[in-house]
Amino acid sequence: MSAHAAEQDHRPAGWRRWLLSTNHKDIGTLYLVLSVTAGVVGAAISFLIRAELQQPGMQFLENQEQFYNVLVTAHGVIMVFFVVMPALIGGFGNWFVPLMIGAPDMAFPRLNNISFWLLAAALVLLVASANIDQGPGTGWTVYPPLSTSGHPGAGVDFAILALHLAGASSVLGAINFITTILNMRAPNLTMMRLPLFVWSMLLTSLLLVLAIPILAGALTMLLTDRNFGTTFFNPAGGGDPVFYQHLFWFFGHPEVYIMILPAFGIVSHVVATFSRKPIFGHKGMIYAMMAIAVIGFMVWAHHMFTVGMNVTGRVYFTAATLVIAVPTGVKIFSWIATLWGGSIQLRVPLLWALGFIFLFTVGGVTGVVLANGGLSVALHDSYYVVAHFHYVLSLGAVFAMFAGFYYWIGKMTGRPYPEGLGRLHFWLTFIGVNLTFFPMHFMGLAGMQRRVPDYPDAFAGWNQVASTGAWISVASVLVFLVVLWRIFSARERVAANPWGEGATTLEWTVPSPAPFHTFTHQPVIEASPAPHWLNDGA
Amino acid sequence: MERQKALRRRKILTVAGTVTGIVAMIGVVAGAVPFYRWFCQASGYGGTPKRVPGLVSSGPKAAAPTLTVRFDANIGKDLPWSFTPAQGQTEVRPGESVLAVYIARNMASVPVTGTATFNVTPAKAGPYFNKIACFCFREQTLAPGEEVAMPVTFVVDPAIATDPTTSELTTLTLSYTFFRSPGSDAGS
Amino acid sequence: MRIVGGGGGILLGVLAPGVVWAGQPLPWQIGLQPAASPVMEDVVALHGYVLIVIIGVACLVMGLLGFVIWRFNARRNPTPATWCHHTLLEIVWTVVPVLILTAIAVPSFRLLYRQDHIPPADLTLKVEGHQWYWSYAYPDLGISFDANMVETDQLQAGEPRLLTADAPVVVPVGQVVRVQLTADDVLHSWAVPALGVRTDTVPGRLNESWFQVKEPGLYYGFCAELCGVRHAYMPIVVRAVPEEAFKAWVQERKVAQNPSPQHGNPPLFEISALDPESDPSLMEDCHRVKGEKPFGPPEANDGCVYFPPPYVLPPAEAPRMMPGG
Repeated sequence: MSAHAAEQDHRPAGWRRWLLSTNHKDIGTLYLVLSVTAGVVGAAISFLIRAELQQPGMQFLENQEQFYNVLVTAHGVIMVFFVVMPALIGGFGNWFVPLMIGAPDMAFPRLNNISFWLLAAALVLLVASANIDQGPGTGWTVYPPLSTSGHPGAGVDFAILALHLAGASSVLGAINFITTILNMRAPNLTMMRLPLFVWSMLLTSLLLVLAIPILAGALTMLLTDRNFGTTFFNPAGGGDPVFYQHLFWFFGHPEVYIMILPAFGIVSHVVATFSRKPIFGHKGMIYAMMAIAVIGFMVWAHHMFTVGMNVTGRVYFTAATLVIAVPTGVKIFSWIATLWGGSIQLRVPLLWALGFIFLFTVGGVTGVVLANGGLSVALHDSYYVVAHFHYVLSLGAVFAMFAGFYYWIGKMTGRPYPEGLGRLHFWLTFIGVNLTFFPMHFMGLAGMQRRVPDYPDAFAGWNQVASTGAWISVASVLVFLVVLWRIFSARERVAANPWGEGATTLEWTVPSPAPFHTFTHQPVIEASPAPHWLNDGA
Repeated sequence: MERQKALRRRKILTVAGTVTGIVAMIGVVAGAVPFYRWFCQASGYGGTPKRVPGLVSSGPKAAAPTLTVRFDANIGKDLPWSFTPAQGQTEVRPGESVLAVYIARNMASVPVTGTATFNVTPAKAGPYFNKIACFCFREQTLAPGEEVAMPVTFVVDPAIATDPTTSELTTLTLSYTFFRSPGSDAGS
Repeated sequence: MRIVGGGGGILLGVLAPGVVWAGQPLPWQIGLQPAASPVMEDVVALHGYVLIVIIGVACLVMGLLGFVIWRFNARRNPTPATWCHHTLLEIVWTVVPVLILTAIAVPSFRLLYRQDHIPPADLTLKVEGHQWYWSYAYPDLGISFDANMVETDQLQAGEPRLLTADAPVVVPVGQVVRVQLTADDVLHSWAVPALGVRTDTVPGRLNESWFQVKEPGLYYGFCAELCGVRHAYMPIVVRAVPEEAFKAWVQERKVAQNPSPQHGNPPLFEISALDPESDPSLMEDCHRVKGEKPFGPPEANDGCVYFPPPYVLPPAEAPRMMPGG
């Protein structure tokens, strides 16, 4: 600690420290705060949705179906752009990429600041959009013509601008990550030696750089269609609404990997740390992530099997989508192989990581079902799809977020998390979300469609179960808030490396909490032997 | 110092590369607009009939079985026209050029401009449905009460019978939808 | 005759005599609705097959996870191994999934091609999605009507809430029905799960699907693409009846519609008479047949102006109005 005391001197005080921050850790913290805040809002919306769906008939949104649609839209957009991405990329990425590669900060600290505040502004715009005119009741996909001629008010314009700002924020952040990772690694930290979380951030950033411009373009066309009389997606002027879907999903499918790749990275670290064994097949894991990133750009139209696509198209997109299961399987099996032969400590971060593997596997195999274009006549836009993407994303990504949170909170705050409450938090969440989302497979198979505020009475039973699960999740959110309070009120302090020999990456070599400035002198990594997280070579 | 300079140079190079990627992807979106239209028309994807002005028909293939062509007409919500095919379903011999007529009539008391889109179902027949001349995508202004016949000439490619994915087809439908041209005139 | 879906099918049979098949979800149902059409039969079969595979894979992963947690717990295994590579293992878990996926892809592709193989249709049904109701037309029979949801307080006994429309689509059992779908405002999707039909209705575009109902019964569906405020209230009822009953229904509908005696689109003139190939001068400006201009002066008529058909096309009969147009 004392060695770093001098470095801590130049910390700006008060609001300037945060508003004008150029420090990767402070900006990471800001992202995490934004994510938790938005997460509470997004979760509150989902509880409203579950409350409305708890029983057949309208519960409290009588004659407010548009508001229900706005809730559904806001839930999706908030969770994707303002919870998962800020936490995994902006939060943990900012905090730990420089630490893991031995860099003093991100490549462009001021750009980093802009990225964050753009996102904060976007969140304000988005929340505002829900209250302007009738609000955007279009779903997060914003399909025209519902989002153009179907929504005359300014709410959709605000939502589009919010997405534009969020996109700009992500792209600037991505440029920063790419530049940092490619140029600021400690000597002898070659690309193939990079820890997997850093690799996942690099690939995510590349995906962002390539995918966000597509979204920006599509949204811009939507905006001009709405306001300036263009007809990109308006058949009356020779446009095609299906064209928007192609553009959206050309962005949208990489987007789901943008959300899940960092989760893969975190889970890899947590699994390796708590099995006290280097990650199995480091290279294979990197190649698997690369493969997922590349294939992610080639499967977009599997979201559109029912638009009236030629059979050749459906065959191709079915085949390409099935292929994704291969690299994903490699990752799952590599995690298990990492655990195999390890000396496993079932600490809270590992619980979340194992939960992630479980939920991601369930979501992954239902993805294999949905990949079959032939089955889309039964499953497209049904609750089966809702179950699938909540298993892989909301539960997968969110479980990885919590794994990362419990794994790194000591490093970020210098304080320990309460182990017992952490376990309670995990088990409540695990039971709650499974109870919520597993029955949705049944509803979807039986034919319940998405995005409805009311449903035929036959679905009452499983919806009741799902809503019960949601109330358990409410309890788990409350427990999490208590966990936060316990952490920030804790008197104890944690060591630089609380996890012992399993925690091998560079962030565990600096004190806890990580000082304001770290690695002002580049750390030394030997050419040989390889860093501990690789064990024997690579 | 030298190292700092080198690092700076490398950073600038990386950013330049990344920005190039972003610009390229913006180019992809911009290019996607004409590309999508071209691709659909050139490949017949999604049931878009091919437009081949000036195609000389190869003449009816005597051996080829006839196909039934149905005609479907739709009008957009705010277009005060009637729009209907002038003929019922028609037997068509692949390779022979066929003229069909749709009849549109302005029911409003003001001139109204419409534009038509069209496609063929089943979508997989699109590549084999060649349109020689049509009123597609051309704005048509009809005076109040005006009624016009809108002809379309097409040839069904005889290859439709040999493609294993389309050989079972006995019926195709040519569908037109007339919309009010956006921004072309004031409401009625 | 099969009675499917356990109690639901029997219940409906009691409530609606003659109806034995309930194409609707049942309480606590956990699987697909029973197949009532050939396409759906294939879907159910493929889904059943893939389901077995994925349950196997999921159980394998869960089993391995459970095993490593138990066997390699720090208490049981205090000293961790140090190995972290095994080339053969990595090859195996790449190749085996490829094989499994191939085993899924083959029947999956077969299903796709089978769905794409459209048998000659006996009947054409035109579906148009609107905010927020469906309109249907049988273009060859001159029938067209709209179908709105029956509000909860107006339901008859036994009619499922949110699934009952005021006008069912009646089709003859065993006949191949070609469904042509479009929309006039936003995207909708016409989905009837038991029949294996789910096709988006897109403004400015006609989509096509087909089904063949195997047993008489009622098959319920819904709009499956978010289309705005009343998205949840666009039910579909397909009522499959024997052919005679269908014919009777057609007659009844025709009378109910009080139509002109003309149905369908009878040819107004011989197409060959206007073949532009034989007479290229017929084509002028690609969109007008020569000779149809000029028109006479407008004629006032309750705010709307109508013309007598002035063109030279024989016969001199006004074109039939498209119903619902």
